[in-house]
This record gives sequence, C-alpha cells and structure tokens, in this order.
Amino acid sequence: METSLNHLCVPRFELLDESQILRLHHAALRILGEVGVKVNHQRAVDLLAGHGAKVDADNIVKIPQFLVEEAIRSAPSDLIIYNRKKEPVMELGGKRIYFGTGTDLPKTIDLVTRKVRDTTSDDVILSTIISDAMPDIDFIGSFGLPKDIRPGLHYIKCFELEVRNSAKPIFFTAGSEKDLNVILDMASTVAGGDEELSRFPFLIHYSEPTSPLTHSKEALAKLLLCSERKIPVNYTPALLAGSTGPVTLAGSLGVAVAEALSGLVIHQLANRGSPIITGVAATAMDMLHATVSYSAPEFRLTHSAYAELFHYYNLPIWGTAGCSDAQFPDLQAGAEYGFSLLSAALDGANLIHDCGYLGQGFIASPEMIVFANEVIGMVKRYLSGFSIDDAHLALDVVRSVGPGGHFLGEKHTLDFFKQEHWRPSLFNRENLPNWIKKGSKTLDQKLVEKALEISKTHKPEPLSSTVSEELDRIWDKISSQMEK
Amino acid sequence: MMADIIKQIYDAVVEGKVEEASSAVQDALNSGLEADEILNKSLISAMDLVGQRFGEGEIFIPQVLWSAKAMQAAMDLLKPHFTASRSKDVGKVVIGTARGDIHDIGKNLVAIMLEGAGFQVIDLGVDVEPEGFVEKAIEEKADVIAVSALLTTTMQSMGDVVSLVKERNLPSVKVIIGGAPVDGAFCEEIGADAYGIDAMDGVRKVKELLSR
Repeated sequence: METSLNHLCVPRFELLDESQILRLHHAALRILGEVGVKVNHQRAVDLLAGHGAKVDADNIVKIPQFLVEEAIRSAPSDLIIYNRKKEPVMELGGKRIYFGTGTDLPKTIDLVTRKVRDTTSDDVILSTIISDAMPDIDFIGSFGLPKDIRPGLHYIKCFELEVRNSAKPIFFTAGSEKDLNVILDMASTVAGGDEELSRFPFLIHYSEPTSPLTHSKEALAKLLLCSERKIPVNYTPALLAGSTGPVTLAGSLGVAVAEALSGLVIHQLANRGSPIITGVAATAMDMLHATVSYSAPEFRLTHSAYAELFHYYNLPIWGTAGCSDAQFPDLQAGAEYGFSLLSAALDGANLIHDCGYLGQGFIASPEMIVFANEVIGMVKRYLSGFSIDDAHLALDVVRSVGPGGHFLGEKHTLDFFKQEHWRPSLFNRENLPNWIKKGSKTLDQKLVEKALEISKTHKPEPLSSTVSEELDRIWDKISSQMEK
Repeated sequence: MMADIIKQIYDAVVEGKVEEASSAVQDALNSGLEADEILNKSLISAMDLVGQRFGEGEIFIPQVLWSAKAMQAAMDLLKPHFTASRSKDVGKVVIGTARGDIHDIGKNLVAIMLEGAGFQVIDLGVDVEPEGFVEKAIEEKADVIAVSALLTTTMQSMGDVVSLVKERNLPSVKVIIGGAPVDGAFCEEIGADAYGIDAMDGVRKVKELLSR
C-alpha cells in the first residue's frame, strides 16, 4: 500500500505567499486607520464611534485594527444558501465555487432580431427561465433592468418575476431601504414568515460602497437592514484602477479591501454573526475610452489577490466572471468568458456573478448564459483533475491489452469513460462531413436555438397559488401607492 | 525669440508640463507679448492637437488631463491681462451629477476637458438638485448646464432640470446630458439640447450648442 501518495492531481493556482497576503492586509488596515472612510449614515457612524472608531469632521471615520479583526472573526465563515424549497444548494465558504448571472443590464440583445434594444420585464422572465434550466447556473439575478417598469418599482418587479420563474437562490439589488423592505416582504411570504426566511435564506442582497472610500447613505441603509434581519448581503466595492483608485493594482487592492472591510465592520457591529459575502471588484479603467473593463487581465490579477486574502480571512467571497467588454457574442466575448471563468474558478471564489454579461456591464445576452454554462462545465471538469491511484493508472489493463491491441472493448473503458471524460453539450466535436450534413451550424447559431428552445419548453416549478396570490396583493398595493 | 517662446508654451501644454508652461507664459508676458496672442497662437492650438491625438488613440486620458492642467496654469497667469474684447470666455458651463448620483468620474473628466478647451467651468459636485443647477446658471449667467448620471434611477432627474430651465424661461441656457445610461432617445424624451457619448463628444457638443 502506497501511503505517501495523494491520489488526486488537481490544478492549483496561487498568486500570493503569506507575507504578501499580510502586506495587503496591513495596507488596508493602515488606510482604515490613517485615512479613514466617509460614512454617510448617522447610525453607522454612531455604531463605529461607540466601539472605538474615531470620527473626524464630515463623518470621516478612522477604524482601528481590532474592530476589523473582530468583524473578520464574528462573520460566519460558512454560509448555507437554500433554494425556494428550503433545500440547501450553495455552501458559500472555503473554495467552493458557484456561478450565476447578475443584475440591472439596461440593454438586451434580442434573441430573434439579434439587435440591441432596451431591456423589458419579459427579458427578466426569459433569463430567469434560461438560468433555471442551466445545470451549472447556481443562482439567478434579474439580469436586466426593465424599462417598461417605472423606477422605484423595477427592483420589486424583478424579484417577483424571478421568484415566480425559478426556485434557485436569487441575487438581487434594490434602490433604497423602501423597495428592499417590499422585496423582503415578498421573500418572507414565499418562505412562510420572517423567521423561516432567516433560517432558510434563498436570497442574497447586493449593495456596494462607492470608491474611493465612501459609504453612501442608501448603501448603508440597505446593509444595516440586511444585517438586522439576518438576510445574506453581498457588500463589495467596484473600483476602477486609475480613476476611483490608484492606477497600480496593489494600490487599488489596498483601497478596495479597506472599503470592503469597513463595510464588514459596520455590518457586524449592527448584528454580530449576521451573514455577509465580501470581497472586491477592482478593474482597470480604459484610459482611452474612459470605460470600465469587465475583462481586463488586471481584473483577473486583483480578483486572484483579494480571493486569496479573503480566503485567509476565512470568509465567504464573491467573484466576477463570464462577462465581456464585447458588444456582441463574438470571438472576443468567447475568449473573455473562457479566461475569466477559468481564472475565477481557480481562485475558488464562492459566489461568481455576471455570467451572460456583454458590453462592459450594459448588455444582457440570454444565449451567453447558455454559453457560460457550457464553459463552466468544462472548467469544473478541468478543476476536478484526475486520480493516479491503481485503478486509474490501470497497469493491469495495459498488461492485458498489450502492445498493438486496443482499449475500446475493455470493461475498464466502459467503467470509467463517463467520469473521466467531459462531454460538451453544444461545443462541436463532430467531424467535418457530419458537421456539414447537420447544417454547418456555428456555436452562436446553436446558442440562440438552444436559448429559444428553453424559453418555449422549460417549465420552472411554480409557486403555490396561495403564495402567488399574496405576491400579487403585495405588488398591487405598492404599485398603486407609487402611482399616487 | 517670440516664436521660440510661443513654441515652448505650445510644447509644454502638449506634453502636459505644468511648471514649464507657467514659466514660459510668464517669460512671454515679461517680454511684452499680448495675452490674447499667447492664447490664440499657442494654448488653443496646443489643446486642439491634444484633442486630436486623443481622438486618434495616440495618447490617453491621464496625458490629456495633464495637458489641461498645463493649459489652466497658463490661463491663470493670462487672465488678468486679457483685453476687454476677450473678457467673456469661450463659454461658461455649470456641471454636476444628477440628484441622487454620487458617481463623478465621468463628470470630472468632462469638466477637465471643457476647461482644457477654454471654457469656464463651475463644478457643483455630486448629487445636485435640479434647482441647484438652474439657480447657479442664473447667478453665473452660464451658457450651458451639464448633468451627468451613471444610474438609470438618477438619470430621471435630468428631465427635471430641463423642465425647470423652461419653467424659468431661460432660452439662452442649454442643457447637455451625459453618462453611461444616457442615449439619444432619452435626450429627446426629456427635451435636453444635446447629449455626449463620452467626454470628448461632450466637449464637441457644447461647442456646437454655443456656435448655433
């Protein structure tokens, strides 16, 4: 018996060593202690001041190291997210990876006309149904920001459409405390009460600080509300190296991590042990076009770096991948999806969002959710590596077949081929004559066909009629209030 | 000699060298050159070249910003010396982000580009109420109000700025809007005078509005 050998060979990626992780941690702590963050919410300021932070003029709060380290310890390191049916489906923490779409894309590439147009509520339904049908899409977002719903109501409508069209966990945004409360009322209705909702959370709220080093009143109101009600919240900055942060990646990381950590401190001071997903997004601003790159290689570097830092903190972390700066599902989009999904997966980020994004976070592409799903399958197979135990080395099989024979008919082949070899569902493996015979379809054509087929055939599990009617009632009430 | 100094100022602005631009302008004034001549022969053509190079992708935003800073430093020295005929600047712009929006990178960029193009810019900062824009425009006798928004929720208040300008009967004040979610259809919908696709386009549109 071989005892020294680890049988599993898996791809690993490591960017920082421990001293580099600590260097980054200390840089963020120094920013928090020496520069401070602007906290535009009185209760948050009071909480910080009451626990030893120093409040200067204009609500600039300097946060001492011990508060940060207490918050890192008090936040849960392992966070179970359920589906609508109270089944545990995501265990956020460690290096477990889950993928999903995102929220609030104002434009959509129409599946039929192939033109970019304003997003509507029908697009929210469509992307939810596609996400529901995709086995490697673990959580869903509104994807679109529907133009046909008036501002102030659209986040509520999106949540309602999502919860009606998928049982998967929902990652959602809200404009203010007001619509967040309505959304939580809806969620509570679905779960069967507030207590059940916090016991079996099937939703994650997204709110964000504003770089550099500012927490807006609205963002903090939502963060505090989630903390008090024990609703999982993702509170992470989106920083642009060179404009809202230092141009250097290390400098940007220090600022972004300080922003995330100060949010964590406020969240934990409001209610210790409340669930939070943290991390950062720090990408490069394009210095020619003044646009936000969702696919810069620098973004992948900062992503890997913060992932390692937050793994070191042992906290659930979010991630970004499966998105592109291209305006159409073209070769650029394919390359950027592939690169980012592999990289984020190697980072072991837990809640990897933005699958299906195009156009630097402005364009929703329903068929690219299907594409992301395919790439995720490939990436997961790659990351699962291979075994070199005796059964997999298969020396006895090699001995029995011998030189010049073949392995196709071996029992060993039959036993192992399914688990050893990944099979694409859409990527081409046909030979040329067969590919031509079947219509010479390129992947982009197949993706659109698949997305359209899902939209017609996939039937998500419906809500009970009682819950459904109650959601109608909540919607009618809030929308008639807003009309006044 | 004169031509040399003009060339020095021109080069300093193109290369974004603030101190060199200032000292060359000071030298030019000391040697008796007219402020208007310095402006017309070096600064404006230097910024035109910068704009052109940026448009062609030869130089990048940080370089443009430093050229604009050099231009501003030069302008600060020249201002007391301008003749009465140039007392009015190229134009005056009141700029800020829309109510509820604290994202100001785009707005800052436009402000600096406008200054670089010779406009006088009054920056109201972030989260500006529609009344704030209009009051300031009246007070400063501004030609243009420029409103920026990143969020689809906050861009709605741009329409309020337009309505307020109409309500106050200020036909000479033009409203230009910009920001990632803004497009031509939205501009038309709210009745704004123009929208900028990006910072350079914004400056171009402001120039167009004022030349009408």
